[in-house]
Amino acid sequence: MKDVSRLKRVLDQGGFAVTAECGPPKGADAEAILKKAELLRSTVDAVNVTDNQTAIVRMSSLAACSLLKSAGLDPVLQVVVRDRNRIALQSDILGASALGIRNILCLSGDHQSFGNQPQAVGVFDLDSIQFVQVARTMRDKGTILGGEALTKAPELFIGAAANPFGDPFAFRVVRLAKKVAAGAEFIQTQCIYNLDRFEKWMAMSRDRGLTEKTCILGGVTPLKSAGMARYMKKKVAGMDVPDEVIRRMESVPAKKQAEEGLKICVETIQRLKEIPGVRGVHIMAIEWEDKVAEIAEKAGLLPRPVISKQ
Amino acid sequence: MITAERKPIDEIRAMVAPYKRVLVLGCGSCVAECAAGGEKETGMLSSTLRMANKMEGKDVLIEEKTLDRQCVKDFVILLDDIVDQYDAVLSLGCGAGVQAVAEMFSEIPVLPALNTEFLGETRDQGYWVENCLGCGDCMLDDFGGVCPLARCSKQLFNGPCGGSREGKCEVNPEIPCAWQAIIDRLDRFGSLDRLEQIYPPKDWSRKQGGGPRKIMREDQRR
Amino acid sequence: MESRISQDTREQADKKPRISQGGKRTLALFYCQNTPESGEAVRQALEKKYASSLRLFPIPCSGRLDPLHLLKALEEFADAAYVIACPEGACRYFEGNLRATKRVDMTARTIAQIGLEKERVGIVANSKENPKPLAKLAEEILGRVSEIRPSPVLERPKTGKGTKEKKDDHSRKKTH
Repeated sequence: MKDVSRLKRVLDQGGFAVTAECGPPKGADAEAILKKAELLRSTVDAVNVTDNQTAIVRMSSLAACSLLKSAGLDPVLQVVVRDRNRIALQSDILGASALGIRNILCLSGDHQSFGNQPQAVGVFDLDSIQFVQVARTMRDKGTILGGEALTKAPELFIGAAANPFGDPFAFRVVRLAKKVAAGAEFIQTQCIYNLDRFEKWMAMSRDRGLTEKTCILGGVTPLKSAGMARYMKKKVAGMDVPDEVIRRMESVPAKKQAEEGLKICVETIQRLKEIPGVRGVHIMAIEWEDKVAEIAEKAGLLPRPVISKQ
Repeated sequence: MITAERKPIDEIRAMVAPYKRVLVLGCGSCVAECAAGGEKETGMLSSTLRMANKMEGKDVLIEEKTLDRQCVKDFVILLDDIVDQYDAVLSLGCGAGVQAVAEMFSEIPVLPALNTEFLGETRDQGYWVENCLGCGDCMLDDFGGVCPLARCSKQLFNGPCGGSREGKCEVNPEIPCAWQAIIDRLDRFGSLDRLEQIYPPKDWSRKQGGGPRKIMREDQRR
Repeated sequence: MESRISQDTREQADKKPRISQGGKRTLALFYCQNTPESGEAVRQALEKKYASSLRLFPIPCSGRLDPLHLLKALEEFADAAYVIACPEGACRYFEGNLRATKRVDMTARTIAQIGLEKERVGIVANSKENPKPLAKLAEEILGRVSEIRPSPVLERPKTGKGTKEKKDDHSRKKTH
């Protein structure tokens, strides 16, 4: 497959994009990531590969993306600023582009204290917004920080994450505006369970003209159980799981909860399709990648469009 | 001020174990303020060490002295007459103090009884919080007097991150989210729009670019 | 103060002390001077009665106690070091007794780190409903510490050649 961002093409053509997340293995096992990827082929436009998510050591996102690229998929390289300074970050951008990786998602990253290396130093040389800006300057001006010219500029579709549910609520849109101003062309949000609050955030984003400048993909994560719903509500920072969702999960017997969770996910996607300014969906089926195809099917997202050669 | 906490007694005992004549040296400045290494704490530690030695039948001389400051040569030099009587100094100074003493009396081991922690304020009696990283390029005027380096767990300049919840940090809900504080503060001053600008990357060379730092003021020198 | 010493206290002071079998223990007792019937005459009488088993140190408020006082006592002559405080809510200086409790706790944790029993230090708050005089409290605390083994910090005469206990440096220690 040519070195193009399929994700960008789908969005440019006005389509409703579908992306999904893939976590690399906790080992040097190339097969593991390729197996997961196979479950997603033809179901999604691009596959996000997480970067030592939750500060747990896994195969590097860059390496995993390269494997997916060789397998003919369109990877989204997730990069956190927690582990690398500006030298390494800019270097990885060049490396990614050289390997044919065409999408990058610039993130802060979970704090190192959450993972299995709590004694590590947290680098945080740049923050995620500065990182977006650096990536864009490398691509559009062909220079690194400080102005020195590159021999060849990287080609990348640049994205950032957004959390419509973090505090303070009013400031969230300002932060989104900054990411867009820095150069974020697509945004993937934290997973959505509170659609009312999400719609408010979308309205604020539209009011600010942000939906014209960037493509917002709403994040969804299917719940496997009522326990998972409760856990996410209490223990995961920046998550908003309304009580009615929990009650709905609790109202069905344990054996049926996974099915209910998938239903809620599909309904959420269907509602997202109706919200003006939402340009796609990002399915984060953590350790449940085999359900992505089913979700996409039931939500009417398949088949994925054929991309015209431009 | 610089804050510190005393190391566990076991660790201190292991450090001084090889020595027979120990000077336990306190400091009357920052570490006295945070009740870790002042005259009282020096007395308490010495008494505790002597008791432990007696219990084990160890005959070790442990004597105490407290300087006003251990990090200033003019005070450290006061030890000149007595330091030869000892084979080790157990310093309750902060890292700066321990090293200043070691620098002046380089033939005697100077051991740290404290773990030096952070630059901070006494928020309330018995309660100290970190608020400065000594970055060498103070930007507090841009952030309403709240430092995003020292007080944001991820050192964000364009925060908050997605983990800010009800004004608390995702790392530990007891930690206030610095960015919530910055936003509230600038809002109160009516200058919240400052945060719409993308704050550029930090010049870290002012902190570590030239290795360990120094200040030379010719107008202050002899 | 002396004229108000009760019949009860005199009787207490005259009774034979109960010292546990197995040798002397010395208790260092720091007491708040607002404890009932704790004037100088009582103090002297008690020290006479209990001889070297008890050394009493008056302080103007239990809040004046420093952990260093307890540690020095244990280091130099005491098997146990206790504090008598006023009842909760009745401290003349409002919080002295609360602070003393925290300091005693801290001292207990410190001595535990070198292998001394936490029970060698403690604080006893007088009763709010029935405040006891010093003599009674001293007796109760002596009973409480009577089972503690002799402190491994202090040298005991094995061959009868005399002890290393310092005399009098701390028996009149003024702490205010």
